[in-house]
Amino acid sequence: MSYYFTILSPTDVPLFNIAFGTSKSGGDGIARFRFPDTAQYMNQFIIHSSLDMVEEAQWMNGNMYLKHIDTYPPASAYISAFLTPSGARFLLLHQPPQLPSTAASASGTSGSILGGSFSASALGGGSSRASASSVAANPTSPQTEEAVRQFMGEVYENYVKTVMSPFYRQGMEIRSSVFRSRVTAAGRKWL
Amino acid sequence: MTSPGDAAPVKPPPSFSPGVPRVASKTRYPNQRRDSSPSLNADLVNSRVASPPPPLSSTTSDLPIRSASPLTPSFRSSTPQLARSSLGSPVDGRFEGSEEIRSLIIRSFSPVVGVYASADTDELVRQKGFAGGFWELIRPFGENIPGKLVIRDSVGASRSWEDYGVRFVGLGNNNQSPSELSAGRSSPLAHVEEVLEKQLGSLDDPLGGSLYPKDFLGFPSTSPLYKLYLRQLLSIASATPHETFRHPVASVIAISSRNSAPLESLRRLYADTNNGDKKVPDWINPEYLRYYVLVHDEDRDDITESTKLYDQMKRHFGLHCHLLRLRSNQCVVTDDDSVQVPECEWLSPSERLFGRTEPLVDLDTEGLPHVFESDVMAIKAFVRELVAQSVVPYMENRVAVWNDQVASRRRGISGRFMSMSRRWAGFGSGSRSSLTSGGASGNYDVAHGYYRYDAPEAVLRKMADFAFMLRDWKLAASTYELLRSDYANDKAWKYHAGAYEMSAVSLLLSPSSTGTKVKIDGIDQLLETASYSYLTRCSDAPNALRCLTLAMELLKSRGGSAVESAARWAMRVMDQGLVGSTGQGLFSERISACYAARSAVPGMNWGSRRRKAGMWSVFAADLWLRLGRPSLASAALEEAERLYADVLQGDGAFPMPEMQTFIDNLRHAVKVEYLEARGLDTRDEAATAAALGTEETSEQLDRRKNRKSLIMNPLDSGISPTQGMRDNDNAADDDFERA
Repeated sequence: MSYYFTILSPTDVPLFNIAFGTSKSGGDGIARFRFPDTAQYMNQFIIHSSLDMVEEAQWMNGNMYLKHIDTYPPASAYISAFLTPSGARFLLLHQPPQLPSTAASASGTSGSILGGSFSASALGGGSSRASASSVAANPTSPQTEEAVRQFMGEVYENYVKTVMSPFYRQGMEIRSSVFRSRVTAAGRKWL
Repeated sequence: MTSPGDAAPVKPPPSFSPGVPRVASKTRYPNQRRDSSPSLNADLVNSRVASPPPPLSSTTSDLPIRSASPLTPSFRSSTPQLARSSLGSPVDGRFEGSEEIRSLIIRSFSPVVGVYASADTDELVRQKGFAGGFWELIRPFGENIPGKLVIRDSVGASRSWEDYGVRFVGLGNNNQSPSELSAGRSSPLAHVEEVLEKQLGSLDDPLGGSLYPKDFLGFPSTSPLYKLYLRQLLSIASATPHETFRHPVASVIAISSRNSAPLESLRRLYADTNNGDKKVPDWINPEYLRYYVLVHDEDRDDITESTKLYDQMKRHFGLHCHLLRLRSNQCVVTDDDSVQVPECEWLSPSERLFGRTEPLVDLDTEGLPHVFESDVMAIKAFVRELVAQSVVPYMENRVAVWNDQVASRRRGISGRFMSMSRRWAGFGSGSRSSLTSGGASGNYDVAHGYYRYDAPEAVLRKMADFAFMLRDWKLAASTYELLRSDYANDKAWKYHAGAYEMSAVSLLLSPSSTGTKVKIDGIDQLLETASYSYLTRCSDAPNALRCLTLAMELLKSRGGSAVESAARWAMRVMDQGLVGSTGQGLFSERISACYAARSAVPGMNWGSRRRKAGMWSVFAADLWLRLGRPSLASAALEEAERLYADVLQGDGAFPMPEMQTFIDNLRHAVKVEYLEARGLDTRDEAATAAALGTEETSEQLDRRKNRKSLIMNPLDSGISPTQGMRDNDNAADDDFERA
C-alpha cells in the first residue's frame, strides 16, 4: 500500500505533501505507486479531481472525517478526506500494491498514464507478503476506514499545534520538520 | 467560488460586446455560442490587421493561423479547433447531444429486410448505374422512413416515431458473413480503428477537413469523430445465433416487367428462400414475411401489361405486393430532375474500408450515383408502404402471438413452477454436482452452440428482439428478464450475455423507469454480468465493447448520479484494453464529457464534476499527442481549459506545482507539434514568441465563459476588483505561462 497525503488550503493551494508507504506487515515505508517515476503528477491530478467529491461530501456529512469519498479505477487509487474547521482539507490517496497477476494483464494496455504499466519487479517483498487481514489488502474495509480515521485524527492534532505557532500565518506552506516527522510517525503507527 | 472572470463587464472581449444578451438563459446558450464563432473569426482578421495590441479574444488554436499568415484562408476553413470551440457548454451538450446519441442507438437496432431480386431486375437496375443491383438501389432509402410511423405496443398504446428505419441486406450476404468473418483477416474492431485512422488522415490534410465543418454548422455537442466511431461499432454486427437483430424480419422478392414468366419466377425465388441456396441456417427462423415487388420499366415496357400482371400477383400472394415504377435509363448529373442518392449511414467497417474506396478517390460527380427524382419518389413510397403496412404490422402481430402462446405461459404461476421443477429435476435423480445437466432444458445444441429456431428459448428471444425493434422497451425488458435464467441453466453463455446486455439496455431506454439510485445499481449488476460473460466466457471483444459503450451512452443521457456510473464503465473499457489507441483517446474525451454532463446542485457551486472532466480532457490531449494528432490534442486541451476555468483561482494557474508543470509541458509540446505539422520552423524565435504570446489571451476566453456560467448561478457573485485590474493589465499575469 502506498500513500500520498496532502493538506490543501480552502483555496486549493497545497500546504503540505508527503508520500510514504506502509510499515505494516513488513513494509519498508517507501511509497511505490503504480505510475512510473515520470508520472508522479498523477497523484496530484487524482487528488485535485477528487476535490469535486469533497465539496459535495462536506455538505452532506456532518463529520470532520469524510471517510473514503472517491476512487480512481484505472489506477485503483482511493481517496479519504478530513475537514478541519478552518476549511483546510486533509486528503489521503491510498493505493494497494499491484498483484503480479494483475500487473501482467494490465501491461497489455498501452498508456502508462493510466497507471497500467508499472513493472511488477518494483514491488517490494513486503507488500507481496501482506496478508488478507491487514490494512493494505482492502482499501474500503472498515479496518482501513478506522486506521485512516486514527491517522487523520493524529495529524489533525499536530496540524493544530503547528498552525498555532506564532511564526505561521494562515495560507502559508507548512515547512516545519517537526510536523513532517510527526506525520511520518503517525503513518508508521496507523497505516 | 470567487470569480476572476466577473471582471468581464469592465472589459468585454470585443466580439461579444454588442447585441449579445448579457443575462443568458440556458436555452439561449447554443445560439449564442454558435453566433460567437463567426464573429470570433472576424475578430481574428481584425486583430491581425491592427496587430500591435495583443488581441483579446482568440484561442490557443488560432496561433497557427496568425503565425502562418500567408496561408490563412485555407487554414481557417480547416482548422478544427475553431469549430470545436463553438462546442456547447456542458449544459446544452447534455440535452441536445444525448438525444442525438440516443436516437443513433435506437436507430441502430432497426429491423432487417432481406432483398432477393431476380436476374432481370438486377440487370435493369445495373443499367441505371448500380453495380450491386436492386439491393444497392433501395438500400439508402430504407434507413429513414419519411414521415411518421405509428407503432402499437403490447398494451395497445400507439406511439408515432419520426426516425424509424429498416436495414436492407442482400439475402445471400446474410448467411455468408459470419463464416467469412470467422475465416476473416482481422477482427472487426481492428477495422473500426482503421476506418478512424483513415478518417483522421483525411482530416489532417489541410484542405479536406471533411468532418469538422459539419460540426461547425449543425452538431454542437458530440465530436463527429466519436459519432462515426459509435456508428461503426454498432454496425459491426452480422447475423449471429445469440441475437436476432440481424435476422431477416421480412424479405423483398422482386421481379421486373421484363420477365417472360413472372409468376413462375416468383415461385422459384420463393422456393429458393425456403430450401434453395438462399435458405437460412438452422438458427434463423425461416418463417419471415415475404413481400413481392414488381419492378416496372417506365422507359421500355407497357404499363397496362404490368398492371395486369400486378393484379394477378395480388390475387396470388395477397396484400404484400407492390408495383414499383422505375425508369431504366441511366441518369446523369446534368439531367433536369436528377437527384443524388443519399449516402448509406450504416455501412459496416469492412464495407467502408474495402467496398467504397474508388468512389472516395474520384471527384464527387462520381461519388454517389444519381437517379431521377420520379424514381426517388417511387422508391420512397414503396419503402414507406413496405414498412408501414407490412413489416411493422407483421412484427406487431408476431409479438402479440408469441406473447400469448409462449411468454404468458412462462410468466404465469404454472410456468414459473414448471421451469422451477425443471431446474430441480436433477436434484432427485443424482447428487447436487450433477446440476449441470439437471437444469438444462436440452434445447441447447452444445456442440454447435445454438438453439434451433423453434425452441421456446429462441422464440422468446426473437419476440423480445421484435419488441425491442418496435421500441416497446418495457415488454422487451420483461422478456429478456425471463430468458436470463434459462440461458444460465443451459450454460449458453453468449445467449446469456446477450440477454443481460439487452435487458440492461432496454431498461435504460424505457422511459418509465426514470432513474432512481436502486435502478442504477441493478443495471450495473446486469452490465457486470453481461460484460463478464462476453469477455471471459466467450472472449467476444466486439460485443463486450458494444455492450459497455451502449451502457455508457445511455447512462450518460440519464444525467444525475448515473453519469458516474457511465464514466466508470468507460474506464472499464479502457482498462480492459477493448479499444485501440484511437479509441483510448476517444474514450478519454467521452469520460470527460460524462463528468461534464453532471451539473451542479441548483443554486450551489458544488455537485458538478468539473475537475474530473478537466483531468480526463488533459489525459485525452496527452494521448492524442502521443498518437501524433496535435490538432485533436489542442482541441482537447482547450476543452480542458474551459472545464477547469470554473475551479481554478484567478490567473488560471493550478495550485499544485507538478500538475502545472505537466500541463505547461503538454501545452508546449502540442504547440510545437502543431506548428511542425503545419510546416513551420519551430526554431524560429519569432514564431515561438508569438506562440507564447497568444496563450494568455486564451485565458481571456475562459474568463468570459466563466462569467456566463456564473450568471446562471445566482449565489456565485463574488467580484474581486483585483482581478479586474489584472485583466486590464495583460503583461502582468505571466507567471501562468513561464513555468
